[in-house]
Amino acid sequence: MVDRFRSKALELPDPEHAFDRVDLAFYGVDHSSATYEARIFIGAPRGLRRDAGPDHPAYAGSFYVFGHDRCYGEEGHCHVPEERDPFDLRLPHHLEPQAEVVTVTAAIERLVAGGKRKATVDVIARGPEGEAVKALEFSRLRLLTYR
Amino acid sequence: MTVATPSARRAAVQLRHRRSARRLSKRQLADLREAVTLAQGIGDDRGYQYWAGIHGLPNPQYCRHGDPLFLPWHRAYLYFFEKALQDRVPGVTLPWWDWRDHSEALPAAYARARTEEGRKNPLASSPIQPAGRRQPNEKRTWRQPGDPSWLPSAEEVAQVRRNRDYFTFQNQLESIHNGVHGFVGGTMGYVATSAYDPIFWAHHCMIDRVWYLWQLDHPGARLPAPYLDLALPPFPMTVRETLDVTALGYDYAAATAAVPGTR
Repeated sequence: MVDRFRSKALELPDPEHAFDRVDLAFYGVDHSSATYEARIFIGAPRGLRRDAGPDHPAYAGSFYVFGHDRCYGEEGHCHVPEERDPFDLRLPHHLEPQAEVVTVTAAIERLVAGGKRKATVDVIARGPEGEAVKALEFSRLRLLTYR
Repeated sequence: MTVATPSARRAAVQLRHRRSARRLSKRQLADLREAVTLAQGIGDDRGYQYWAGIHGLPNPQYCRHGDPLFLPWHRAYLYFFEKALQDRVPGVTLPWWDWRDHSEALPAAYARARTEEGRKNPLASSPIQPAGRRQPNEKRTWRQPGDPSWLPSAEEVAQVRRNRDYFTFQNQLESIHNGVHGFVGGTMGYVATSAYDPIFWAHHCMIDRVWYLWQLDHPGARLPAPYLDLALPPFPMTVRETLDVTALGYDYAAATAAVPGTR
């Protein structure tokens, strides 16, 4: 788990085609530990400050994770099964990784209008007091454009 | 029975109204405090500790987070908890905390340690049963309000309500929900203990209200069919049964007015 992440460059929407909505989806987000805010910046230069926020020109939005803190059961209680029997009708494990979808239309519009064709995504994980929180973990990031 | 779309057309049914925590009358606030106090005094499955424990500790932690059952499960949870309070004080309803209003960190009804009459405010904190504690010495709930930017703005909530599909709406509303838990901090900042804090119920009432308003915004929008007949353990209720709040006997209308009809 990390307290900040910088992605490889993502391809932005083609400026030749109008769009009315862009979502940034994080898949496989872990929520087994701390409660934190994930601040998202798109197209920010390297060296983004930890306290950068909504007034930063590259800020695109935030998502919040309600953490389970730690395991309160015995050994194996919080182990998420890797495979699931298709006939297992029980509800998913309580720590099944989740998805987070943040609408980032305005940020992408700014970048595209400025002639950008690709941009990186920075994510900074912060606790309620602004402290660094090493709880950020996800499997995949996807930019979804709707028109 | 009306499903999928909440219907104010069930006019013949006497609905109870959940009200803003900032606009409770003296009587309504006194009733709520009395109901919580009486429920705190019961040690069995009618009592406050039993209901708070369903969400988190002691295990199993029944609550659903991060999946499409988040909203239906918590609607059922509020419904049964409110029924337990109504067994103590008939007619009492859960209020909602409108966290879009940042003028005060927490509603005064929940923030003040003492009531206007000088008594201990049962909405300010709650005992935590030994099996419900994260740490052995966490005998009562506590709060540590953090960065107010974790509270959503009216525009952020409006943007979430503009989503037309259930999954994205639920996902983004849950993220707002997560931020409010983190903002209150302390006991509320952890899944395992959050429901022991009395403000948990007002927070989730607001989440439930936003879902209801979204249902009004998008008639017919709901979870896809495969989810509708899923049970919501430990509650004897399915997803489908949570879709119409008026069938559950309550409403969030800000104001109502009625006149006699032809009969």
